[in-house]
Amino acid sequence: MLGWEFPPAKTGGLGTHCYELVKNLGAKNVNVILLIPKRSQNVKYNIPNVEIEEVGSVPIMPYNSTRESTTTFEKGYGWNFFKEVEVFNKKCVDAALKKKFDLIHCHDWITMNAGIEIKRMTGKPLIVTVHSTEYDRTANIYPLNNIIDVEKRGCQEADLIITVSKQMKQQLIERYGADEKKIKVIYNGINASKYFGLTSKDEKNIVLFLGRLTNQKGPWFFLHTAKKVLEKKKDVTFVVAGQGDKLAELIKLSFDLGIGDHTLFTGYLSEEEINYAYAMAKVYVMPSVAEPYGITALEAVASGTPVIVSKTAGVAEEIKHCFKVDFWDTHEMANEILGILNYPVLGECMRKNGYTEIQKFGWNRTADQTIDAYRSVL
Amino acid sequence: MTSICFYFQVHQPVRLNRFNIFNGSNAYFDETKNKNIIEKVSNKCYIPTNNILLDLIDQYKNKFKIAFSLTGVFIEQCQKYAPHVIESFKQLANTGNVEFLSETYYHSLSALFSQKEFEEQIKLHRNLINDLFGQKSEVFRNTEAMYSNGIAKIIENLGYKGIIAEGHEKVLSWRSPNYLYKPTGCENIVSLLRNYKLSDDIGFRFSAKWWEEYPLTADKYATWLSKCEGDCVNLFIDYETFGEHQWQDTGIFEFLRHLPNEVFKYKNLDFKTPSEIVKSYNPVGSIDVPYVLSWADVDRDASAWLENDMQRFAFEQMTKLEEKIKQNPELLKIWRMLQTSDHFYYMCTKWFADGDVHKYFNAYDSPYDAFINYMNVLQDIKNRLGV
Repeated sequence: MLGWEFPPAKTGGLGTHCYELVKNLGAKNVNVILLIPKRSQNVKYNIPNVEIEEVGSVPIMPYNSTRESTTTFEKGYGWNFFKEVEVFNKKCVDAALKKKFDLIHCHDWITMNAGIEIKRMTGKPLIVTVHSTEYDRTANIYPLNNIIDVEKRGCQEADLIITVSKQMKQQLIERYGADEKKIKVIYNGINASKYFGLTSKDEKNIVLFLGRLTNQKGPWFFLHTAKKVLEKKKDVTFVVAGQGDKLAELIKLSFDLGIGDHTLFTGYLSEEEINYAYAMAKVYVMPSVAEPYGITALEAVASGTPVIVSKTAGVAEEIKHCFKVDFWDTHEMANEILGILNYPVLGECMRKNGYTEIQKFGWNRTADQTIDAYRSVL
Repeated sequence: MTSICFYFQVHQPVRLNRFNIFNGSNAYFDETKNKNIIEKVSNKCYIPTNNILLDLIDQYKNKFKIAFSLTGVFIEQCQKYAPHVIESFKQLANTGNVEFLSETYYHSLSALFSQKEFEEQIKLHRNLINDLFGQKSEVFRNTEAMYSNGIAKIIENLGYKGIIAEGHEKVLSWRSPNYLYKPTGCENIVSLLRNYKLSDDIGFRFSAKWWEEYPLTADKYATWLSKCEGDCVNLFIDYETFGEHQWQDTGIFEFLRHLPNEVFKYKNLDFKTPSEIVKSYNPVGSIDVPYVLSWADVDRDASAWLENDMQRFAFEQMTKLEEKIKQNPELLKIWRMLQTSDHFYYMCTKWFADGDVHKYFNAYDSPYDAFINYMNVLQDIKNRLGV
């Protein structure tokens, strides 16, 4: 398996996904060799049946950063970045050729070239998991053609494609002409027990946004919603957690809207702080313009926080005990936030039912379905 | 002789508008949607099924009989959007072979919170049915067949001779629903119990391919009826079964058209209306229902409407207004429309177990949307009422 992020050098859904996937595959007696880039922080995991090899010698910071400062990538992909990716992919090929394995599984464009090359040299089947596309990450604004080309080629060369949602499957069919028959949807999971018992709701009305401050995640809609809520209810604080290249613009917007004193920008949050933020919030809002999956919605539910998610999010295909809105519909979002704040029974019902619901979404299930996918190409 | 007693429930809620608090001038009710639904269901169900029943009554004269219960909110909407449907029901009434049962005007949960309100709504409905069809039924059907010893007692005191209830094992144990029973604590009223198995064979399973009896034909069904022991087989079914829940292409209309003929092949079967059943047979025992029994979902209680905290909260907030709202005739009508059981059904969170039947009926994306919308409307009424 070829990965990019891995804890502790983990930023978004991909790192969590790889860690939980190999752990659960290993537990089911699947032998995994995971190749990941060498990071500044060493990976120290001892997972049964999983061999982790860090290839490359240059420390690379993760891409797709929701939670850590990575100046290079938030200001756009720099020259160095593409060079690093190329070097990493080459080293993966070299490392892989020394190993014994039955199939190749790679994640996102960043490992696809290596996957394709290893397949060509060994004739082993290739499985590609697409967590997000270049179109998603840029919210359709100036997507980079060289990345699109890699994603397209990966879809063509793969024997099987795994997507994290139905909408992603549809996107690959429409944008990359991927063969519908070889795409399998396997949803992400959640390690719900990690969040259990964190809930600490006090009197404060906190509404949370958490994610990269980029076009993709729709923070503008969050602030415009905040303004509407505050027209009806004064004692509400809107927390914008995370960072990104739009931070300054958003802070200015909050003052332009006249809600600066009700808005709190946290900047970077550690994992511990994130969990605390989930637990404190009365509502978690995810107004993403594009969201292939949206694992944070599950994390919020696991923390006992009612969620409002964009209809476009992959996670909305799965969870029922939440509000689903059009990301641009700030009227409706404000209406729902006020409903939750004004009628505590509503949040209680969502919390209870949501928590029961996500018990079904364990990584165990993701691993089982992934094993089925492996079997289908062997 | 075993009598087949058909009673069809006809109801359409007045659906609420999406009442967003940022748009305070919105009307409470969604005229367009309600109109569309009435028109759609009239074309698919009410008119074609009424026509079949009229033909059957014409063909078999006094031998074929049926009963309906039409809610007040259904009638009002038909008067507004589809008056020909009312005319069609009047034609059925004029045959003399169709009984129109009594119930609450607003298909409400009033029996669960106020005897006064409950009785007022029964009276409103009674007057409406009398005006339209010239009938004063002696048989009462409460919303979703909600029944208890207490409800039966209230209905007895109003002078009714019969009351509809669900013929479930949790009440009957080993006994058959095909007899009349006396409600515990009552002397002058009997309960007619729904034979839910045979009713659901038509209502739910008719087109179910997984069912070992699929496809259900009129002759097969008549054979089952002929083998029933007891005085009466009570087939109480939602009228929308015909053409709406079971679409035309399932063959449901053909089934209905041929059923009487198949039934008349058996000498031990006839058709009777609920009031005739009450007059013809004597109770064989008594039923004791100290809790609320209904015909809904697997639980057969009030939990589809009043189980989770949202439902209870919304219900409580609504019922609290009774005294104050009765001094305000304009708002009283709206308040009563908010008592319709469907609004609470939409907030039900049990639907993962119940599955598709519930989803098909939900006017909202989720029970949470239903709750917020209901509360927004209620809050607006409270503001106008000065509460």
